[in-house]
Amino acid sequence: MLQYFRNIWEGFWTPLVGLSLTWRKLFTPAVTMQYPEERWELPINSRMQLFVNMDDCIGCLQCERVCPVQCISIDTVKAVPGEVEEATTGHKKRLHVTKFDIDMVKCCYCDLCTFPCPTECIYMTPSFEDSSPDRYGLVYHFVNMTPQHAAELEEKARQFDEAEAAKKSAKAAEASATATA
Amino acid sequence: MCAMARQTAGDELGISYERQGDDLVLQMGPQHPSTHGVLRLEIVTDGELVKHITPHLGYLHRCFEKHAEAMTYPQVIPYADRMDYLSAMNQELAYVLAVEKLMGLKAFPDRLEYIRVLMAELQRIASHLLAIGTYGLDIGAMTPFFWCFRDREKILDLFEWVSGARLLYNYLWVGGVAHDLPAGYTDRVMEFVAYFEPRVQELNSLLSSNKIFIERVASIGILTAEDAISYGIGGPNLRGSGVKWDLRKEEPYGIYERFDFDVPVGTGEFGVLGSAWDRYIVRVREMLESLKIIRQVVDQMPGGDPNEAMPRRIRPAKGEAYLRTESPRGELGFYLVSDGTEKPFRCKARSPCFTAISALNAMNHGGLLIADAVAVVGSLDIVLGEIDR
Repeated sequence: MLQYFRNIWEGFWTPLVGLSLTWRKLFTPAVTMQYPEERWELPINSRMQLFVNMDDCIGCLQCERVCPVQCISIDTVKAVPGEVEEATTGHKKRLHVTKFDIDMVKCCYCDLCTFPCPTECIYMTPSFEDSSPDRYGLVYHFVNMTPQHAAELEEKARQFDEAEAAKKSAKAAEASATATA
Repeated sequence: MCAMARQTAGDELGISYERQGDDLVLQMGPQHPSTHGVLRLEIVTDGELVKHITPHLGYLHRCFEKHAEAMTYPQVIPYADRMDYLSAMNQELAYVLAVEKLMGLKAFPDRLEYIRVLMAELQRIASHLLAIGTYGLDIGAMTPFFWCFRDREKILDLFEWVSGARLLYNYLWVGGVAHDLPAGYTDRVMEFVAYFEPRVQELNSLLSSNKIFIERVASIGILTAEDAISYGIGGPNLRGSGVKWDLRKEEPYGIYERFDFDVPVGTGEFGVLGSAWDRYIVRVREMLESLKIIRQVVDQMPGGDPNEAMPRRIRPAKGEAYLRTESPRGELGFYLVSDGTEKPFRCKARSPCFTAISALNAMNHGGLLIADAVAVVGSLDIVLGEIDR
């Protein structure tokens, strides 16, 4: 019988203990934020959006290879010597990057691609408000090269290679001619 | 008659139970707010009483194990994160330790080991906070849920500061970490510890000692110690049944043997041993134990470079390794087979939630009501991402 009344008493009292806490919390400042007006500062290493600094990209494809979801696709064309400047980090560029697409829909934000980059040109940025009404809007093209331009570059590289090969065979022929003479 | 009814309604739902008499088969889920994911429970009811519960899984199956075979060892880590997205650090830790065991790596800088323990324990608190909060929400207590999330947010901020991500970190790597701790990190951790300890007391007076809550959960979902052991349950669910078994103590991985902490077990204070309340209170007390460990970690945190011993290429020799760790949800193990290439030949995850959900029917000793089913499932703290993988 005593237990019965004690249960009733505790059933009243213990929720009141909790309620007193709730009352106290009523007069403490709210922890929520009014998002678009207020926003908190994200740490600089926040992984929200991938960005590529194309001036430094040497087209080594390491980020493409390490990506677990294959969201990066890169095409390269061999460059004629002297045609491209070196990267700001001092790495020699030997390739034209004709396509550098990152599909942020596929991206799993794992940050694996940023570590192997030799020139540190691919990195995550704290900008998180990129959205698009359709999924193709989130495919980022970091190179705006027309297919015609890419084909031209390819043709140029082929001609250069041919010229080099011709030069080489001429040299070899000359060498063999002098050797026989 | 019975057979016909089964044919018309039962077959397309895949009901496994043969109905008797007036039994009603109730499908709870897959889209049910208290199943913590997409889980379908087939509940055979006799009036208000639950006669049999069969969990049906597979709605969140993402082929983790098969997919891992197509990935190199470091590439699996983001996928291991996504297994149990509420305790990603612990999943990473288990996977990374398994790979290290496979490679036979042992000597690591002290700082790395301490960072790992710090991250694992912070994540344990975050995970338990979510478990407690959502359990209260399942029962009908709204306020603790918000308070737990408010505190969990602080841990996520700490994780975001160190790794750049809030939920899926890819922070612990094989033989190293993605980034060293930023300057002043341990101070912020201590600030959190000082802030959080009184919050646990608040939570206790708000929910744990609330008579209505106790009466609701202290006598349902009883999991006896024998059942728990024979089903292979680990973690707080096992300890709630009074079994003192914690892999951090029994089979210390990392540097857990250096720390002084207790293993809280359920005592059946208010009702029967192994009840939902026991499992709940074990989680609350474990958070305090984790705080103890974090304090010791911060006190002893050595300097240096944590990535000193990071292997440049991860290509284990032929062989196999199994390593189990204590995740917030129980015994999490990874079994890896290497064929000498850069990709695992087999990657099997031993999930603690899977074993927990399989014991669901064993917790029904008769007298379980339909309304209690929610309270029992919630008390197991399952994450469907880990069950289905």
